Amino acid sequence: MKEFFKLVLILTLICTASGVLLALVDQATKQRIQEVERAAKADAINKVLPPYDNIPAENTCTFEKNGANWTFYVARDKGLFAGAAFEARSSKGYGGDIVITTGIDSNGIIQAIEILDHKETPGLGANIIKPGFKSRLAGKNIVNAPFSVRKDGGDIDQITAATISSRAVLEAINDGLNAYKEHIDSIRTQGERL
Amino acid sequence: MSFFKELTKGIWKENPIFRLVLGMCPTLAVTTSVENGIGMGTATTFVLVCSNMVISAIRNFIPSKVRIPCFIVVIATFVTIVDLLMKGFAPALHKNLGIFIPLIVVNCIILGRAEAFASKHPISRSIADGIGMGIGFTLGLIVIAAFREVLGAGTITIWSGMVMQIHDIDPLILMILAPGGFIALGCILGLMNYIQSVLARRQGRSYTPPQHLDCRHCVICKWGK
Repeated sequence: MKEFFKLVLILTLICTASGVLLALVDQATKQRIQEVERAAKADAINKVLPPYDNIPAENTCTFEKNGANWTFYVARDKGLFAGAAFEARSSKGYGGDIVITTGIDSNGIIQAIEILDHKETPGLGANIIKPGFKSRLAGKNIVNAPFSVRKDGGDIDQITAATISSRAVLEAINDGLNAYKEHIDSIRTQGERL
Repeated sequence: MSFFKELTKGIWKENPIFRLVLGMCPTLAVTTSVENGIGMGTATTFVLVCSNMVISAIRNFIPSKVRIPCFIVVIATFVTIVDLLMKGFAPALHKNLGIFIPLIVVNCIILGRAEAFASKHPISRSIADGIGMGIGFTLGLIVIAAFREVLGAGTITIWSGMVMQIHDIDPLILMILAPGGFIALGCILGLMNYIQSVLARRQGRSYTPPQHLDCRHCVICKWGK
């Protein structure tokens, strides 16, 4: 019985010590992690939007569509609506969710896309992060949406041996574009009002 | 002298991947690019050194009946610390290795070294063992990753952006996928055994393949006795 208490006591001591240590490290890194995450997001928005002079990350409008919330980051240049960026997510990736930021300019032309997060196969699906694939969407007019890969009769070249990943990217973008088209007027007003 | 010996044994003589054949899950999973190998190796080395140090420091305090839970708590604590620090200070690396970090907790190199070495030796030698094993693991990962990446993608990625194009022909994608990991590991293990057998023959010794080394340090299956 005495030994039993000793075992419990020592395990408790070790767990408490590690708990305290973890709490300290968490305290020390929490702010930094949030900053890094915010910076990564802002960086992606910055990369996909045309030139602007406001802070799109703070100029947002959110709509609800099919149970999902769509947030648009609205860019404005010299008092005029310059474009908008949105974050879209597809669960149809080969290895898990794919998160993409897409930027559209005021004429409805896709400026660029950025892959924020993905778990695709290295060397195959992971090639969606390469400029060669991302640039295939740049310059497309959103009136031609929904986009699809060549294999499905569309005009976007899929990545060889990674059709599922390519399809998932397009699916996420198409969903976002649907929401964008539906609310384009209010997004425009948001850009001009401020 | 003994400090130096503990440090170097992990690199060749008791290399955790090729000699002890430990930590196969992360080895096969991350070695798709050299960059991943370096990152995983560095993170594991850090955890290994810290856990070896702490476990060696409290080795006389831990009752043998609850030593495994104690080891796991210590290891898991350091893994979480690495995860948080990486997220905050090396986000690019964390993006690549994110899913492998939690795997370090169950990486049997770390538990294996805690059980076989750190719990029986003083702090300085345990740290040396951790550093040596960590470097050996990292080098092993880099060798396998280079082999797979050159054949499977035609490149060598040392750091994101620092990509060397080795050849431009269509790469053998199989090598980047899971089966390629097994093929690469098997080929390299075979090559190492061949080299060692040749070396042993030249010195007039007989060479025994490392089967008996496989679980030399692991006593888990002997606990029941």
